[in-house]
Amino acid sequence: MDTPDQINFFRRIRAALGHAPDVSRNASHLFAEGPSPEELQLLDRIRRRTAEGRQALLERLVEAGKPINLSVTALPDVAYASAAIVRLVGEKKPEWGDAKHIAAWRHPLIDRLNLPEALDRLQVPVHATAPIPIDAGSQFDQVERERQRAGIIASFIGVTSADFCLADTATLVMRNRPGQPRSAALVPSIHVAVIHLDQILSDMKELFALLRWDERYRSEGLSNYMSFISGPSKTADIEATMVHGAHGPREVHLFVVTE
Amino acid sequence: MIATINPQEEPYEKEKKERYGLIPMAPKPRTTLFIQCLVDTVWPHVAEAMVGVLEGLGLELDCPTDQTCCGQPAFNSGFRREARVAARRFIEIFEKSGTIVSPSGSCVYMVRHHYAELFKDEPKWRARAQRIAARTYEFSEFLVDVLKVEDLGASYPGRVTYHDSCHLLRGIRVKEQPRRLLRKVAGLELVEMKNSDYCCGFGGAFAVKYPDISAAMVNDKVDHVVNSGADTVVGCDTGCLLNIAGAVSRRGLSIKTMHIAEILAHRR
Amino acid sequence: MSDISTEKYIEEARRGIANPVLQKALVGLQDRFGRGTAEAYRRLPEGPDLRIKAHEIREKAIANLDVLLEILADKIRANGGHLYFAETAQEAVDYGLAVARRNNVRLVVKGKSMVSEEIGLNPALEAAGIEVVETDLGEYIIQLAGEKPSHIIAPAVHKNRHDIADLFVQKLGIRRTTDPPELTHAARKALRAKFLAADMGTSGVNMACAETGHITTVSNEGNIRMATTMPRVHVAFMGMERIVARLDEYEIILRLLCRGAAAQTMGTYASYIGGPRRPGESDGPDEFHLVVIDNGRSRILADPQFREMLYCVRCAACLNVCPVYGKIGGHSYGFAYSGPVGAVVTPLLTGINRAKDLCQGETLCGACRDACSMNIDLPRMLLALREKLAYGDAAWQVKPASRAEGLAYRGWSWLIRNRRLYELGLKLAATGQKLLPHRKGMLRRLPPPVQGWTQSRDLHPLAEETFMERWRRTRKS
Repeated sequence: MDTPDQINFFRRIRAALGHAPDVSRNASHLFAEGPSPEELQLLDRIRRRTAEGRQALLERLVEAGKPINLSVTALPDVAYASAAIVRLVGEKKPEWGDAKHIAAWRHPLIDRLNLPEALDRLQVPVHATAPIPIDAGSQFDQVERERQRAGIIASFIGVTSADFCLADTATLVMRNRPGQPRSAALVPSIHVAVIHLDQILSDMKELFALLRWDERYRSEGLSNYMSFISGPSKTADIEATMVHGAHGPREVHLFVVTE
Repeated sequence: MIATINPQEEPYEKEKKERYGLIPMAPKPRTTLFIQCLVDTVWPHVAEAMVGVLEGLGLELDCPTDQTCCGQPAFNSGFRREARVAARRFIEIFEKSGTIVSPSGSCVYMVRHHYAELFKDEPKWRARAQRIAARTYEFSEFLVDVLKVEDLGASYPGRVTYHDSCHLLRGIRVKEQPRRLLRKVAGLELVEMKNSDYCCGFGGAFAVKYPDISAAMVNDKVDHVVNSGADTVVGCDTGCLLNIAGAVSRRGLSIKTMHIAEILAHRR
Repeated sequence: MSDISTEKYIEEARRGIANPVLQKALVGLQDRFGRGTAEAYRRLPEGPDLRIKAHEIREKAIANLDVLLEILADKIRANGGHLYFAETAQEAVDYGLAVARRNNVRLVVKGKSMVSEEIGLNPALEAAGIEVVETDLGEYIIQLAGEKPSHIIAPAVHKNRHDIADLFVQKLGIRRTTDPPELTHAARKALRAKFLAADMGTSGVNMACAETGHITTVSNEGNIRMATTMPRVHVAFMGMERIVARLDEYEIILRLLCRGAAAQTMGTYASYIGGPRRPGESDGPDEFHLVVIDNGRSRILADPQFREMLYCVRCAACLNVCPVYGKIGGHSYGFAYSGPVGAVVTPLLTGINRAKDLCQGETLCGACRDACSMNIDLPRMLLALREKLAYGDAAWQVKPASRAEGLAYRGWSWLIRNRRLYELGLKLAATGQKLLPHRKGMLRRLPPPVQGWTQSRDLHPLAEETFMERWRRTRKS
């Protein structure tokens, strides 16, 4: 299991730390058995959050979004969100070429937006990124992934949901799953995220407490790829002048459904 | 202002007391003069001014005239054995002294901060050093924090800007005290300059070994003094002041460079 | 190994000081980020003292580096990732090359990684006929210009919009513009094509978390996400010290890293990567490789005086407040790491004698220590390096840098031991100085070896009478 490069590497580190070079040391004292008192408080706070509390988080989120150019809109239900997306598709121009395509996650909340139907009138194709069946064979797997990739690259808007949103820093948190490709929130020029009010947490501390200790999230943990996205991409590499729109999306629109 | 954390905030006061075991002094303690080598040999008038101010407050002063150097120049250049020679001598000379006051933040920092490190393998010397460090103060710190005095009855007509010396500001965390003293000087208008807490480029041997960089830094400092509209630049460390004064002179400017002791001793 | 030019510190410093474009850029950088970071620390809910907690977290992690790296490796392997532990720069580069060859890689897109600069990855890939494209805008600019980075976070800080416009006209064939959004868009367009065509993406690692088995990359541009999502293969290069134990500890480090690096509460993108694409997922790399690099770090680890340097997270907050860096710029430091962190790390990694000007060419002003997101005592380590240069050191293979200086301080230590001798020396000097050029009472030119002082400033002469002499004369009667 341990390759020669690893064996020698660790011998050197252990020797540098003054330990027996060949003995693997025990780690348990470095990790917690259970949540700390602070984390218990955080979990409790999340559990007890009222409607007012969530509304307050939403307001904080809107404020936090302003300096990073994240547009946050609260909408009463998915129909409104769907209409808002349709409006965006109509108004915005593609960055590369003229053809308008959009990509959308296969996700319970996104499915309810009914985008293919809503955009049919505008004749805008919707590339839905379905989960790839695991036992379908590698050939199919490859072809399907290429197809989805091409669909995302052709799209000027990518519609996704998220797992959580952190109000403090207006950060969308997405853990990787089949049917929810990361590139949908990355490659298209415009990223649209639709979440529910309940998904808003206060900050990273709350998020990590949940991911570490809450039974609902613990087994998945961070998944093999978790993204934090706080607004559109930006850079200040040219004369320290802030420019929004570097390599990731130039615009990010967050719709929070409050129903 | 660069990334200086406000030294008046709680944790640093606590750190100072814990680190040096500084104990509150009785009013008017017996005071021993610790005169920086640069002051002793180049600008003795700074020490004269400090003596004037302290005696004016009714303090009894003594001065071990055998003192030469705290060892900082050797230490900063890496020559710790030689620095230890100076440090041991300092300890022997000042062991029987009263409260020690110096017109130099960097020397006080050397004693309070680096002596323990110099003697980390010699517990007896370290203990002796720490006892002395616990009663060693920089001049402005001594006036404001120990004697609780801010108004020395001084008067200085002029527009003054204050330069924060590195070891005074970031070493022993003295920032507000000199400003409080200067604000009480009659006729003195205190203006802040840009980057008052940026290093002036002295750095001891640095000024001689890396003259291009040092020159660039001191010229920036002088530019900031000029742009502040001040006619006088004041500081608490003679190394910095000689550096700044040297650049002012070379550039033919009419700005006065003075130690805070001179201002506080100044009368109409 | 990348080419090192630490010996050119003084020469490059002079060039940097004389460069008006660089000077303007550095003032802007420090005004904005130096001040901004201090404010960001003050605004932390825990206050600037959070840095002390961060120091403890990193101290604990480094003290248990073997344990944490082993856990990280196990978890990533369990997730389908590959690990390689590279003792030297060459081993790390060779592994990267092997992965590229095995996967028929023709084009590599790179997320900014200082350790990849340190090991000299780009030249090796290029020598193997592989096209390498830097995708961080600053790195892209200097790659096109054939230059080295001059700042850890903002590599092209020394270039102004006119330089960049000229460069893009020449290399990208665009219509000339000096408008930053337009220039950025030109790069966005050029790089998009590269991201979508690349076979392999590389990145660094900002910080790894052992508990969860993830490495994290942070950026504002999205280039690291693109480079580690679109190509088939992702190779991440990690300095072995960049790890913490737990997720709640990691949270503190991340918050400080964002503030130290760019005075932000959060970078635009943070990606937590624990392995390659899983079955059923539409995108993500087929292969994920983590290359953990020693390259001299274990030697630093073994020395209690310098172990603290491994707590560094390369946020570059120290560069943004350093008055020396602020005048000389990053190229003077002659290696991947510039500023105060470079002044300590570069000698330890490349040779203390070789990089002696980096250890000695600062004023120990302490601004870096106050700005450091991990509260590292950089001045302490600079002083420790200077001690080694003063006397030599067997363990670090250091020769005394200047026997003459050693003799001078030895002489000085005799002089200061005896007040009478000291005063005699001063009297001689006070007399001798009368022979030196004067103007308006100030010395204009000092003789070698101290002529550096009067190169650009005058010097007050020694006083006629020392304070101690006067005290004796007037008081002790």
